[in-house]
Amino acid sequence: MRNLLNFLLKYHNIIVFLVLEGIAFYWLTTGNNYHNSRMVKSMQGITRGFEERINNSRGYFSLREMNSNLATENSELRNEMERFTRQENLKFVSVTDTVFKQQYQYTSAKVINNSVNKQKNYFTLNKGRRQGIKVDMAVTSGDNVAGVIVGCSENYSVAISLLNLDFRLSARIKSNGYFGSLSWDGRNYRHAVLNEIPQHISVSIGDTVETTGYSAIFPEGIPIGKVSDLKKSGSDFYQITVELYTDFRKLYYADIIGNMKKTEQLELERQFR
Amino acid sequence: MINTILRFGAIIIILILLQILLFNNIQFSGYVNPYVYIMIILLLPVVTPHWILLIVSFMTGLIIDLFSGSPGMHTSATLLTGFSRPYVLRIISPRDGYESGPDLSMKDYGLRWFFIYATTIVLIHHTVLFYLEVFSFAGFFRTLLRVLLSSIFTIGFILLIERYRKGR
Repeated sequence: MRNLLNFLLKYHNIIVFLVLEGIAFYWLTTGNNYHNSRMVKSMQGITRGFEERINNSRGYFSLREMNSNLATENSELRNEMERFTRQENLKFVSVTDTVFKQQYQYTSAKVINNSVNKQKNYFTLNKGRRQGIKVDMAVTSGDNVAGVIVGCSENYSVAISLLNLDFRLSARIKSNGYFGSLSWDGRNYRHAVLNEIPQHISVSIGDTVETTGYSAIFPEGIPIGKVSDLKKSGSDFYQITVELYTDFRKLYYADIIGNMKKTEQLELERQFR
Repeated sequence: MINTILRFGAIIIILILLQILLFNNIQFSGYVNPYVYIMIILLLPVVTPHWILLIVSFMTGLIIDLFSGSPGMHTSATLLTGFSRPYVLRIISPRDGYESGPDLSMKDYGLRWFFIYATTIVLIHHTVLFYLEVFSFAGFFRTLLRVLLSSIFTIGFILLIERYRKGR
């Protein structure tokens, strides 16, 4: 007993260190999804309110640019509306389409926390379960891909950013329809890498890269970026660098897209696996 | 005694606020992320018991982790830095030994000594932190570059703050 006490006294610093480091490592290895950790959950209320306040004041600095973006988007939408109303006027009939069922629903939210300088970036949105946000919904910004929701609380949700080493997205080249897998290599926040495009097809710089609808998360044909560089490496595949359309450093507003038929699709697919 | 505790409480709060409000938002590029809050570990008095040092490091890392949304990274890195500080101090002790002054300042020990001390501590912290962040040795040299560039900026900011902390 005395030996034990002596031992504890002699090495109490190392023991304290090991215990605390054990806690930290446990958190590090299990809490990678950011939301699993209990502690984070209970602290969220405090830190989120804080982050929101910081972000509110930061928003003032970019009002001018946001305004011009909104104005262009407005004019585009107005143009589109014009097209639809004109068509209806020509026909002079109203059609109630009972077969049509809306597949995607859209909500917009404000980005209240964001980073581009880590290897695993996440961003936080100011809408959560109460506003109908669910895990695995797609997030776009100005109609370009931004990320996917990975966790929701009552009023907030956290999305994994495209700028995250764990992020994978099925993407295709618009001009020829070949698809591959898009990921971020952790280097530049403006560029991502498109893999698995075979070398026998022709790809040229400037081609648009967009989503495929395969994952049931993103709708088909949402733009991601354009090919900015391509290399033929030793393997059978190109190494394609994609310049992203979304500037993650200027992410202030985001649209969240929910696929209403997703469970149906996944359930059907599960039967054949 | 109470005075010292209050003083360090203020230093800790100011540095954590600086980190969260200012340095976390710098996002200069993926290669440069200054983590100036490590100065807390740097400044604590020489006479601080080792276990208090450990607890302060743990709490500091925990708060930074909660505010930057990273799981346990800063906690483990800061804790390891706090653990190694007495050994670092022993290795690079100045010629006249340490005085039992209130803290380890540049003013008392000179620029050269403080620079070596800050560099050692910051390098330990940043190396652990950035390798924990990617959690693999793939891309070893790229991570090393991030460690070195970020360390240069962190040390620069620390020297700057230290220069004006006590005035001339």
